[in-house]
Amino acid sequence: MQPIKLLKSQLYSEDPGAGRPADPILQGGRCRCGYVFFPMQVYGCERCGSRGNALTPQPLSTRGTLLASALVHLHADKSRPAPFTIVKVALDDGPVVRTLLADDSCDIVPGQRMTAKLVSLQRDDGETVFDLRFVAAG
Amino acid sequence: MARTLNELRPVYVVGIGWHRYQNPGETPYVALGLTAIREALADARIEWPAVESSYVATALLGMASGRQMLRHLGASGAPLVHIENASASGSTAFRHACIEVASGISDVALAIGVDKRNPVRRSDTGIDHLADDAIVPFTHFALLTNEYASRHRVPVDDIARVAVKNHRNGAKNPNAQRQQERTLAEVLGGKKVSGSLTALQCTPVGEGAAAVIVASDEGIRRHGINPDRAVRVTASVGRSERVYPPGVGFDAALTRETVELALAEAKRSAHELDIIELHDAFTVEELHYIESIGLCPEGHGIAMLKEGALDIGGRCAVNPSGGLIAMGHPIGPTGVGQIGEIVMQLRGEAGPRQHRDALVGLAHMVGVGAVCYVHILERCR
Ligand SMILES: [Zn+2]
Repeated sequence: MQPIKLLKSQLYSEDPGAGRPADPILQGGRCRCGYVFFPMQVYGCERCGSRGNALTPQPLSTRGTLLASALVHLHADKSRPAPFTIVKVALDDGPVVRTLLADDSCDIVPGQRMTAKLVSLQRDDGETVFDLRFVAAG
Repeated sequence: MARTLNELRPVYVVGIGWHRYQNPGETPYVALGLTAIREALADARIEWPAVESSYVATALLGMASGRQMLRHLGASGAPLVHIENASASGSTAFRHACIEVASGISDVALAIGVDKRNPVRRSDTGIDHLADDAIVPFTHFALLTNEYASRHRVPVDDIARVAVKNHRNGAKNPNAQRQQERTLAEVLGGKKVSGSLTALQCTPVGEGAAAVIVASDEGIRRHGINPDRAVRVTASVGRSERVYPPGVGFDAALTRETVELALAEAKRSAHELDIIELHDAFTVEELHYIESIGLCPEGHGIAMLKEGALDIGGRCAVNPSGGLIAMGHPIGPTGVGQIGEIVMQLRGEAGPRQHRDALVGLAHMVGVGAVCYVHILERCR
């Protein structure tokens, strides 16, 4: 089976152990000091300043708890037509991430469990790509 | 051993001036800035050559805009520098003007904030994020509004009351961009922006200028400035964001630690503050920051607001200028204008906006990054 094309493959990937359509995992990082961050970067640890071998890739589960959501009514950037919903999720693995909710009509409240899936998008050139979006955990 | 501003020689604000904050228009920035500076010079009753150094706060005018403005005051040869620190640009310029005078390098210095609305350009850090292009500031604060309402079990309509108070204050301020009282129904019924935020709960896009002149005792003496109208700067603190526990709001946490240092520097407690000008670009911010400053415990801000404790004439007048929501937030000028408002209040010259017996005022700004700047000013007795 061909791997699917991801919009931001440096930030997330298909979990190799999962079935199709695969669940995504986030490409986080961990510092020797114990700080877990997202996304992975090699500039230096925001908590302690270590770099080089101190920073290693750390796959993060997308499971987490909803901290907040906002239905965006106005957005100047035409490539993101409003309305869309932004969610802020505290991942079980530590970092807090913010991105789009897969389905605006889904009723969500802070405190509830969330997870992410890969959603297909049609690019301007007609190609289908997959982006990571959050959903209420079933 | 490092020292605080308050341990160096005393610094006073001796002149304040504005060009009204207004909707984006055709007025060149040079005209905006010169209006504010000339008003501040007239307020201090000094001439331009007395100013030994200038700090020009601007976030959106591009490279080297200051000299093209200052030359029309008579090219004195005095040094100038531009300060860009996002929303806190004006506060940062003020801090460095104070530091220059407190250190003894200058006796009289100017902080001038001026901006026109231009596209914000931010450079690529090389680190991508999931959807940062979809999360503009009003959505960042819409998320925080949802979080605050949920954590403290308060209706979002009550959070909108911050805008009612600040529009009421702005209606009495001739330098405010928005000078119209608004009912809660008007605030809630306006254009929906993001989450529960409506247009009147968000700072408007605008332009304008604010200027402040600071001086030492020596400067006051040498130029014959009236010492009775001088307001002392008793604390100046700048901080930047650290790593906070997951889920902790960084703007509020950063504000808390910056204000703690400023209160310690001025040897004051939060309950001694008569005036606070703070960064209320969005309604929920005022609640976060009064709680971070220590006016009340977390989650109790709404109760203070509803009982009128934050009104002019209440326990502590918060944003008597109208704040960023009503006075406006032209970026470069904003932090300088806050200082001007506090000086007016402490002098007892705020007219219909006057808060009674105002002795101590605190100015607070955050800027994306995030940075936080806090100043405390006190009437000289
Ligand atoms: Zn580290």
